[in-house]
Amino acid sequence: MQSQKTNTGEQGLYAEHKKIYPREVSGYFTRLRMLSVVVLLGIYYLMPFARWDDRQALLFDLPARKFYIFGLTLWPQDFIYLAALLIMAGLSLFFFTALLGRVWCGYACPQTVWTEAYLWMERKIEGNRGRRMKLDKAPTSAAKIRTKALKHTVWIIFSLWTGFTFVGYFTPIYELGGRLFTGDLGPWETFWILFYSFATYGNAGFMREQVCKYMCPYARFQSAMFDSDTLIVAYHPERGEPRGSRRRGTDFEAQGLGACIDCNLCVQVCPTGIDIRDGLQYECIACSACIDACDEIMDKMSYPRGLIKYTTENAAEGKGQHILRPRVMVYATILLVLFGLLVSNLVLRIPLELDVIRDRNTLYRETRDGLIENVYTLKILNMDEQPHRYILRAEGVDGLKLVTDQEEIFVEASSVYEMVVRLQADEFNLEQRSVPVSFHLQATDANHLSIVEEARFLGPGKT
Amino acid sequence: MVSTSPFPEKIPSIQKAIAVLWPSFATAIVATGIFFSAFHPKDLVPFNLDIDVSPLAAYSIGFFLFWLLGIVSSYATMYFIISNCQVLNKQQGQFTK
Repeated sequence: MQSQKTNTGEQGLYAEHKKIYPREVSGYFTRLRMLSVVVLLGIYYLMPFARWDDRQALLFDLPARKFYIFGLTLWPQDFIYLAALLIMAGLSLFFFTALLGRVWCGYACPQTVWTEAYLWMERKIEGNRGRRMKLDKAPTSAAKIRTKALKHTVWIIFSLWTGFTFVGYFTPIYELGGRLFTGDLGPWETFWILFYSFATYGNAGFMREQVCKYMCPYARFQSAMFDSDTLIVAYHPERGEPRGSRRRGTDFEAQGLGACIDCNLCVQVCPTGIDIRDGLQYECIACSACIDACDEIMDKMSYPRGLIKYTTENAAEGKGQHILRPRVMVYATILLVLFGLLVSNLVLRIPLELDVIRDRNTLYRETRDGLIENVYTLKILNMDEQPHRYILRAEGVDGLKLVTDQEEIFVEASSVYEMVVRLQADEFNLEQRSVPVSFHLQATDANHLSIVEEARFLGPGKT
Repeated sequence: MVSTSPFPEKIPSIQKAIAVLWPSFATAIVATGIFFSAFHPKDLVPFNLDIDVSPLAAYSIGFFLFWLLGIVSSYATMYFIISNCQVLNKQQGQFTK
């Protein structure tokens, strides 16, 4: 399980924060992480511009209260699907954590992804680790101010673009862009663009690993999903210790040394500023930068790679690897069941809803012909992306008459149609003061679009 | 908590601010989502006042109200924990004297 060092555990909260200058690193896992960063940022920045039919492919249209997810249009009534999606996202996190440890943190978390992007800009402008440290220590000079100003300008432009993109998920982005250029942005759109920009700038530019250490709940509870077969990044002390510097090509074993040359590169590349050689720590986001750094040194020293590597607690102790274990199977089963339920529900979902509201002002009234009449307001929600015509009928009482002013009801695509209808029944057919009736709505052009809604019909009752 | 944080006054204010602002922010997002899925902003104008707010404004104001509620709650929690720690520290100080 997670063994936490006591001296950097909870007490770290009270330590003064030291700025971390992660050293640049190259290698297999770094390339993998960069690939992930580029793909994820690419999706984020380009997705709002993708089209589906004649609209934005992914749009959470808050003003219209509709969520467009490719071919699917979700209404507030479909809230359950979003809730299910969120639960599945949570469960996936459990599943992948149990199996692969903190891959989410190291490769996919927005905090990591944007921090990498901001760090990349910082490197391009301020130079490598040594130069950045020197620059920060240097007294204020025109050159220093110029470099810093350039960095912050680039960061702010990137942040604003990020904020604009974010709002573009909630307001059609082409219109938003148009309003941006004509200076016609609404006050709240402007506010949210700036808010999200500021959050990105602060989180990726300044907070960085502190978000993971102090703000992230997942970092705190992920150890609950860990077991001895979870993938972790680990240093192998039995091979590395005792650490120490030595000349290349000398027999270190004869000098009583382990494979670790104590070059400290694993510490310098760490974005959270820990020493992986101290064992598994909750600050470790499993980004594997230290693996690449160490492998490079091992290559230079002509030692075998893997002094720091992905392993599991059991594998490190020579007990073998167990991928399929109860914990993983349970997470996978729940995930699959939920996925099946979600998909089958989405497939069987009828994009039609009928709300019946009885007129609250009068219980009932008598028509000139002596019939008992109730008035209802119907709301027809055509949640389909095509317009439809519907036929309405009502039943529940012998000789029940439905009075409307239209034979067929036409409802536009993705819209709500409200109408008032009257039901009339003979007093002799009403057994009680309140009898159940039902409205049946059937689309004329699509058989599966049909719905039944129950209501009450009030009368004087049997006397 | 009490035994592991003997000197809560040493927690930097920025971390206290984060501890209050951040969980309430996350909670406010969830609360806003659930609340406005159930209620349409136009049905919510208090006392039938005839004010014209755009949906985006209504959602934003709703979000900030939820955030404010969360901030009050988180701040109260932090206040109680810290003041309890201080009382305990004082008592322990008296015993050791």
